Amino acid sequence: MMTKDELLGPLARQRSDRVVVTTMGIVRPWGRVSDSPFDFASADSAMGHAADFALGVALAQPQRQVICLNGDGSMLMTLGTLVTIVASRATNLVLFVVENGTYEVTGNQEVPGAGRTDFVAMAKAAGFARAERFADAAAFEAALPTLLSAEGPVFVSVLVAPGHEGPLGRGPEQSEPYLKLSLAESVRALRRALTSR
Amino acid sequence: MKRQRVTHVVGVPDNTSKALFEALHEEPTLRVLSVTREGEAFAIAAGLWAGGASPLVLIQNTGLLESGDAIRGTAMRMRIPLVCLVTYRGYAGLSKAGNLGAIDGPLLGRNELDSTAVLTEPTLTAWGLPFSFVHGDADLSRFTQAFGAARAQEQPVAVLLTRPTT
Repeated sequence: MMTKDELLGPLARQRSDRVVVTTMGIVRPWGRVSDSPFDFASADSAMGHAADFALGVALAQPQRQVICLNGDGSMLMTLGTLVTIVASRATNLVLFVVENGTYEVTGNQEVPGAGRTDFVAMAKAAGFARAERFADAAAFEAALPTLLSAEGPVFVSVLVAPGHEGPLGRGPEQSEPYLKLSLAESVRALRRALTSR
Repeated sequence: MKRQRVTHVVGVPDNTSKALFEALHEEPTLRVLSVTREGEAFAIAAGLWAGGASPLVLIQNTGLLESGDAIRGTAMRMRIPLVCLVTYRGYAGLSKAGNLGAIDGPLLGRNELDSTAVLTEPTLTAWGLPFSFVHGDADLSRFTQAFGAARAQEQPVAVLLTRPTT
């Protein structure tokens, strides 16, 4: 079992100019370690739709890699997206499922199948080019450069201890830079960053 | 769609859109992306737009009803200028029935009415999604107008296709 910091620290150091889409219990922790115009929080949006949003970005920007930090509860809401991602032939998408076994932002209620669901097996069955699970920080950090340079789509499950992130909000009072904008402003900021020459 | 510079069509086919999907698959200037559930289409379209593309969503009205929270939380909340072409299952029977009055359980259970059709327009109105109708080739200007409305209002708009494409 890893901590969120053990997941996000190495990723923040190695992400370069990749797009990073976060959701739910990872939104604030990522906002504490990253402030990039290529960060996007799927917050104040629709639960379960971070991975498919990230797929859209990846298809529009085939020359740029897109990383999605999805939750296990969110992934369960749209398992069909695993199939859609593979069928789309998006080679520039790395989909993380951060498995903490709970709906963290609503109080850590257990997700269905927590500890029994094999997301890596599902990703492999859907046809992901590469699908791996990590529960050890050192092994994850050592593998990360390969995961980020591999031809995708790549699926990465990371077993992470539940945290205590509360419900998400947006507005100037938020301390994480990418939560200061409204969702509509935030998506336009990402579009500008991705389309400016 | 080509004149409007649509780059991607995202959706789920049905009988009404069968010929249209076949034609789209033959069109080299845009990409067709089939999804597993209609709600996905709106999130993918939002991501495509964020990445600089010009997507269009093509689904049946049954899938529109399935997509409620995805539409609300992605295309609407993000204010994506997006045209959603919706095939209107049950439109003919709905037109024959005339004024239906209030929607309630007995109405939605009537055998001669498709409950999807009964709920389509009230749902779009409740969700704040502007819509127009295309009944045939004579109405195609409404399709063009929908792109203008989506861009001007910075939000998704729906075009209801009431007859099968050929």
